[in-house]
Amino acid sequence: MKRHLALIRFALGSSRRRAGRTVALGGALALVTFAFSAVLLLTEALRREFHLGAAALPDLTVQRLVAGRPALISEQWVPRIAALAGITSVAARVWGYYFVPALAGNFTVVGVDASPERQPVDAPAVVGRGRFLNPDVAGEVVMGEALAGFLGLDVGDAITLPVGKVGKRLQIVGLFRSSVALWTADVILMSATDAREFLQVPAGLATDLAVHLSTPDEAVVAARKIADLMPDARILDRQLMNRAYDLTFDTRGGILGAMLMPALVAFLVLAWDRLTGVGPGERREIGALKAMGWQTGDVLLARLWENAVIALHGALAGIVGAYVFVFHAQAPGLAKVLFGWSSLYPAFRPAPAVTAGQVLVLVCLVMLPFVAASLVPAWRASTRDPLALLRGVA
Amino acid sequence: MNEVPAIAIRAHGLTKRYANGRVEKTALRDVALAIPAGRFWVVSGPSGSGKTTLLGVLAGMIAPTAGEVELNGRPITHLRDHHRSLVRRNGVGMVFQEFALVAGLSLAENLLLPFVPEGGPPPAVCRQADKLLERFGLAAFARTPVERLSAGERQRAGIIRALLGGAPILLLDEPTASLDTANVQLLVDLLVELRAEGRTLLATTHDLRLVNDPRVDGRLRLVDGAIET
Repeated sequence: MKRHLALIRFALGSSRRRAGRTVALGGALALVTFAFSAVLLLTEALRREFHLGAAALPDLTVQRLVAGRPALISEQWVPRIAALAGITSVAARVWGYYFVPALAGNFTVVGVDASPERQPVDAPAVVGRGRFLNPDVAGEVVMGEALAGFLGLDVGDAITLPVGKVGKRLQIVGLFRSSVALWTADVILMSATDAREFLQVPAGLATDLAVHLSTPDEAVVAARKIADLMPDARILDRQLMNRAYDLTFDTRGGILGAMLMPALVAFLVLAWDRLTGVGPGERREIGALKAMGWQTGDVLLARLWENAVIALHGALAGIVGAYVFVFHAQAPGLAKVLFGWSSLYPAFRPAPAVTAGQVLVLVCLVMLPFVAASLVPAWRASTRDPLALLRGVA
Repeated sequence: MNEVPAIAIRAHGLTKRYANGRVEKTALRDVALAIPAGRFWVVSGPSGSGKTTLLGVLAGMIAPTAGEVELNGRPITHLRDHHRSLVRRNGVGMVFQEFALVAGLSLAENLLLPFVPEGGPPPAVCRQADKLLERFGLAAFARTPVERLSAGERQRAGIIRALLGGAPILLLDEPTASLDTANVQLLVDLLVELRAEGRTLLATTHDLRLVNDPRVDGRLRLVDGAIET
């Protein structure tokens, strides 16, 4: 340990003595790490966001298609599907999108049965400020916190939304929060009655049916039974949706990663050039160290520590920079490429989430090649005659 | 009966060839020498005669093409790099013509550099360094970066570093190259003092002021890589 500490002290001194080289390599490393980290962090944040959202989805979602497009579905299907084996519950849902041209974004309007026996069990918990909907009062809404913030609204404020050719005044009675940033950023909850009126969904019809299964792993079998029953239905399987999200973000992240490969290669070329081009001063230093009794292993270890310190600082600077860029600045430029819904969605702040595994992957991806590359020239120099190195003839 | 001194540095059949592409250069040709312990010998010769290569081979820095080297009775030629490094650290102190000081480090840091791989210098070595800096008139420059020292000061710094490990053998490569006549005398005074302490000294030089100094115990002349008889 004493040996390592002494070599680390020497290595830190070396990196200070070669400040220009240290700054150039550390800066380039930070830049490359930043680019890869930003893609990885944003992709993972989106993946996490969708998985969290999907976790709250029903096992199966049944929609009716007319001419290949989603259409309203009759609530009469509820008891017929509920009667199928393996199905524990079926609920008719009323929801839809509301596009606001001025904001260039979509809101999701969700009708909720606010009666005490039907309202979501965690409704009080998710309402951060204000209260949940009163089942006996029309014209109340509970809005996602992020959406309210985006619109500059608060509990007690009122909004007027068009229903047909007239405006409907809605009172904000509460703001809800959720670990799923997507929901708080675009969802408005209102009573099922108000939602029907607002979305113009006639009584007896619903947007879709939410189906819960006793064995979610049997979703494919249950979906086949429903399809047999309803030939015009489109059945969305939660597990399939998860896989689709993964594929989507893996593909987008992969494409961006591939686009960044030239940058990584350019950096490695730069690093290789700088590291393998051991200058006369460095060669003389290695010769001096060897001449005074340092072993090849000592020289390599000192060089390893020196470049590990540069790499660690560069990588951490890149990761921290990417974290700030993604989670505080909302990844300007990069977000539009990965999100894919920029024209539909008003605002999205990805929830900060970094796993140890992500940091490990990033550190391995950029640090290991850099440090390994740095050892080659040091090894080559330190295995030559110290005298030749000192005299500049090696 | 006079006691025969032990041989501190013994070499025989030393040959060193360098290949530079298709051209091969012989730096040492069948060199044999035996330097008694506690003596001060000088190897002279013109530039390019192989003096530095000879010191490099004797110090275990350069592997000879043929031949053997023994330091205080211990063969070093066939030691692995790891063990030859230990010989350089503990068995031989070498003063380089190029000084072999690391730019950017202070004089004191340079002196203690050989001890870094051991976890840093022991307190006794630090005390010894302070004493040697005083003795060589460099105490005021301990924290000065070596590149700001004069050639003579750097030469003395190299000698201090060679002495710090307590090595019994001191090899000096052109130690007077950067010194004026007065400083050459001071250097020889110092080397004589070190000899009196029991150290064996072997210096290479083409400086006649050193070669002809009466305090030198023995002289060898190297011409074109071979000892001139």
